[in-house]
Parts: sequence; C-alpha cells; structure tokens
Amino acid sequence: MSAYNFQQPSRQSAKVILVIFGVSIYKVVKASFIIIVAFLFKLFKSDKPINMSHPMVWLSLSAIPLVFIVIAVLRYLNFKFYVEEHHFFLQKGILNKEELSVSKDKIQNVYIKQNLLQQLINVVSLSIETAGDDKTEIEIVALAKPKAEALKSLLLSGAKTKVETTKTDEQQIEHTLYFKASAKRLFLEGLSENHLKSFILIFGFIVGVYNDAKEFVGELNVSSTITSWFNLDNESLMALLLFNISIVIVLLVFSIVLSMIRLFVQNFQLTVMRNNEGLEISKGLLNKISLSLKASRIQNTTVSTNRIKRVLGLYKLAFTQAMANKRQQLKFNIVALSKTQLNDLVLQFYPGVFKNLIKHKPHQYFYKRLIATHFIILLVFNACFWYLSGLAFLLNIPLLLYLVFNIVYAYKKAYYHIDDNYIVVGSGMLIETHTSFLEVKKVQAVRLEQTIFQKNNNVATLDISSASRPLKIKHIPLNRALDIKNYLLYKVEYENKNWM
Amino acid sequence: MSFFANNQIDMSTLPKVQDLELTAISSKYIYILFFNTLTAFGVLCLAMVLVNVFAEDRGFNDVFWYVFGILIVLFFITLIFNYLGFKKRKYAMREHDITFSKGYLVNTTLTLPYNRIQHIEITRTFLARKLGLSTLKIYTAGESGDDMTVRGLPKAIAQKQYDFLTKVINERV
Repeated sequence: MSAYNFQQPSRQSAKVILVIFGVSIYKVVKASFIIIVAFLFKLFKSDKPINMSHPMVWLSLSAIPLVFIVIAVLRYLNFKFYVEEHHFFLQKGILNKEELSVSKDKIQNVYIKQNLLQQLINVVSLSIETAGDDKTEIEIVALAKPKAEALKSLLLSGAKTKVETTKTDEQQIEHTLYFKASAKRLFLEGLSENHLKSFILIFGFIVGVYNDAKEFVGELNVSSTITSWFNLDNESLMALLLFNISIVIVLLVFSIVLSMIRLFVQNFQLTVMRNNEGLEISKGLLNKISLSLKASRIQNTTVSTNRIKRVLGLYKLAFTQAMANKRQQLKFNIVALSKTQLNDLVLQFYPGVFKNLIKHKPHQYFYKRLIATHFIILLVFNACFWYLSGLAFLLNIPLLLYLVFNIVYAYKKAYYHIDDNYIVVGSGMLIETHTSFLEVKKVQAVRLEQTIFQKNNNVATLDISSASRPLKIKHIPLNRALDIKNYLLYKVEYENKNWM
Repeated sequence: MSFFANNQIDMSTLPKVQDLELTAISSKYIYILFFNTLTAFGVLCLAMVLVNVFAEDRGFNDVFWYVFGILIVLFFITLIFNYLGFKKRKYAMREHDITFSKGYLVNTTLTLPYNRIQHIEITRTFLARKLGLSTLKIYTAGESGDDMTVRGLPKAIAQKQYDFLTKVINERV
C-alpha cells in the first residue's frame, strides 16, 4: 500500500487519453450509425461520386478525431484525485470545474473493470459506488492495475476506526481462493438455462410474421427440398408440419446458443475469493470486472436454480446492494456453484439461517390468483392459435399441461419464514426455484398491500423494503401480515441496529 | 405466539399498526385530483376534435362519436375512482414511525420508521399553493421503491411535520 502516495493529487495513467478517445469515437459512431449508413448509401447511389482525394474531404474527415483528441488530452490534464484522512477527493472538468468528495464510510463498493480497449493497453478503470443517487457515481477510467488495487483497498479500509487498522492488514492477507468456475460448468450452466422464456418471446414474434415468413421460405423452396430429402410425397399437410417443426427447432437452437454465449462471455473465468469480511468476485471476457462484497453492505440474497440445474448440481447466488445503479446490480451474482458451496456461502452471510427454518404456506387465495392469471395466458395463446388456424389448436394440450403444473408448483414452492434475525421467502414455478434471504435489521419500511379481491378474502401481500429490491410475501392471511408488520417495525425501531 | 421461531416477545404487547387512528389529508386535495383528470381527458378530447375537423379520411368521422362517448364514460369512471381513492388517503404518526395509506383498488399502507429516513422535502405545485396545500416527501436509502409521498397536506401541518422529522433525524446521530 505504501508504494503509492494517494495523499498528493495525482492524475490517471496517460493512457487514459486513448481510452477517452476510443470511447467517444465509439459513442459517436454508435449514435450516428444510421446517418453514416444513409450517407454512404446516398453516396454510392448518386451519379457523381465525391472525389476522395480532394483536400477538403480529408480535412473535414480528420477534423473530427482531432477535436476528440484535444478534448481527451484536456480531460486528462484536468482530472485529479487524492485521498485525505477519511475522504476521497476528485477534481475534474475542462470549462465547468467540478470538485467532489466522498466520505470513506459512505462508499458502498469499489469495482475494478476492464473493457476490451483497456485490456489491450493494460489499464483498469475504478468506480466508486455510493448509496446515494446516480449522480454521485465516480469513475477513474485508466489506472495501472497495482495502483488501482492499492487505491481500492485503501478506500474500502476506511469504514473502520483507527484502532482496527492493524487488524485490517491481517485480513487482507487472508484472501483464499474459494471457487473457480470451470469452462465445463459454465457450459452446462448455459445449456440448462430456462430457454422457454426466450423461446416464447421469439415464438410470439414469429406468429406475428408467420405468413410473411412462409412466403419467404416458400420462395427458397426449402419445404420441397426437405420433402425430397425425406422422400415424401407432395402432401401439403406434411410439408406444412415439417416447415413448422423445422422453424421451432431452428429457433430453439438459436436461443440456446445465444444465451450460452452470453453467459460464457459474462462469466468467463469466474473466480470467488473469500476473506473475513466477505467475498471478492472477478469475471468477464470482454468486460473484465472485479468487485468485493462486504457482508455489511449486502441487502438481500437470492438463490436460484431450475429442474435441470438441480440435477446437474448448479446453483446461482445473487446479491443486491444499496445503490441506484440498476445495471450494476445484475453483476453481483455467482453462477455454477455446487450445493455445498452454495450453503457455505449463504451461511457465511446468514449464520444459522437453516437451523430453525419453518416453512409457512400462503393462503389458499394464492391458488385463485394463479388460476386467474394463467387463464389469461391461455386466452392470449388461443388468440394466436386462432390466427394460425389449422392444427394449431392441438398445441393446447401441452400448454394446458404446462399451465396446470405451473399453478401446482407455484403454490408448492411458495413459503415464508421469519425469525429473530432473518426473513426467508421461497418462490418459483414449474421449472425455476428461488429462495431469498434478508436480515431483519436491514428492513427499511414495511408496506401492506391489499387489492379489492384480496380484501374480500381477508388476505394481504407484505412488501418488506430494504435499501435494495423489496422482498414480497404474497397472499397471507391479513392477521398474520399485520403481526409480521408489527413485529418487524418493533425490531427495527427498538433495536436500532446499524443497517448500512 | 409460536409463529415466530425463537421468539421471546409477546406479540400481544407490541404496538399495533391496525389500531392506528389515521388522519385524512385536506379535503381540498380532491380539487387537484379532479383538475388533473380533467386536464388529461381535456387534452385527449381536444386532440380528437382537431383530428375530426382536419382529417381527410371519412373513416375517422364515422367512429368519432362512439370513441368520444367512450372517452366521456371513462372520464366519469375515473372521477369516481378519484373520489374513492381520495377517501383512502390517510396518514398517522407515532413515536417511532410514520404511516401513509392510499388506494382504492389496490390499498397500500406504508410504514416508515424514523431511524431509516435519509432526508425529507416539501414541494408545492402551483395549484397546491393556491389551495394552501403542500406535499411532504420522505426519502429512504437506495432504490426509491419505499419513498413516501404524502400529497395534499395543509401547509401548516406539512411544515410542522417537516420540522419534527428534521429534529428527529438530527438528534439521531
């Protein structure tokens, strides 16, 4: 840590000019993509092509990058940061000078990220996340990696009092590698994703353009080729059936491959380090990211799996923290964990949570509600079938089976548990299963929700807010909901524990 | 009560939110609700009339009165729900928390402990100023899902609550 002096105002690595330049060019191209394409299109179509060797063309074309380079250099020169006592200071801005400071104990998290360009020139970006709104988000775009790591540990050590500083140094050493996702596990994880959702989306889209697609494929003579492959007579029904089945298979493969690639790129070389305070997660292929997770900063935790994943022993753990930036939230997860590793990690943050777990069931009203919503889904699908006509109505058989089992399992998997320290809520449908954990002391507000239908049945939904996503206990008897609300409010107001 | 595992607190002795006596917001607030609905539907109707006058296509003129009629019916239904919802807008303050209840079709009762408040704010729209009303906004940390917005409080009461909550927050340390 002593290798770098953060007391003195310092600039970023000079390579930042490249990064800023690259990012702004990328943004401009992305934003004006359609205009550029339209312009080129017009250029090729017009009779008199522009003389590319004309100096005016070259001058105007090179002016744009030049402006960006000047801006990048000025931004680099006007960006300084330093750490003093318990505050992080930042000065930036070319014309509009901006100076901001963040108290160390207000810092929720510090990430180190690396996009493709940053990987090429070997720098990292460091972002500081506070619990406030989006505006206070701070990012230092280009730092040498060791310097960024030193700054990160300096910033994260701030939450403690001076007496404990020697202790934190010890804790830094105790980083142990806990989990590294192998390529095989990631592959299985991608394969066993719930593809049904994305498939239904694409299916809905196809229904919309079905007739156009049929005409288009008809022109390509695909169905006749297929029938000749299978040596079939020219039976139109068979051809149609084959056409439909081949569409479904192509879509299925397409959606599976797409989500597999996405999962693999996002979680490439997923590594979890464990220390006394929490976890250190790093992952990513194109965008490398490393983030540390402190137990005290975690709001709620969700464990997810599905039927196939459970057989393969794959579990996902997702954490949420108090922050406004929703895009970042998605990255706080660890995939491809085994059952024992998962329990281990859950117990690290929620000690003893499984010991007295009593699963309370929601009210029978939940069934009514599920039947009503699933009936609407059935109607929507039948509208599509009606549009498709023919034998499409036969699809009602698997659909009905799916919906009925969905209802049965949605009720079966729903439960809630509350004790002195924790709230646990289970949910799921036919395929997926989720379990959410929240510490009672992190509750921020309690909302009781009752629709007029729920009122008639004397049930209510309880919405338990933390500084992150709320936890919902759906459709429980009103008396029970009020008891829980009173209990939670009592715990929060009278125990008055530190919650952030 | 055996429901809460490992619990030594007697549930019957806890303060109960269901026993709270909720106070209604200012009755003048209904004017703002009606005014908002009127503006929304007014703009829609005006746009439709303009289209009807200037449209070249006769197809729209044929259905114009039907659509207009439906819009008027919807307007009155919205007014009714405005009124029913208005009746449900109530609040209460206790020693350690504030409660606000609202909604007719979906009734929600949000309770916010004082020790979780981040900051508070009073806003007054033009119409509210004319009617002597204020909006009290209470913010919590993180995502804005559980922020509390109490609209249509009489100005003096809103100010009193604002001062009270500011004092509570400042004393909290």
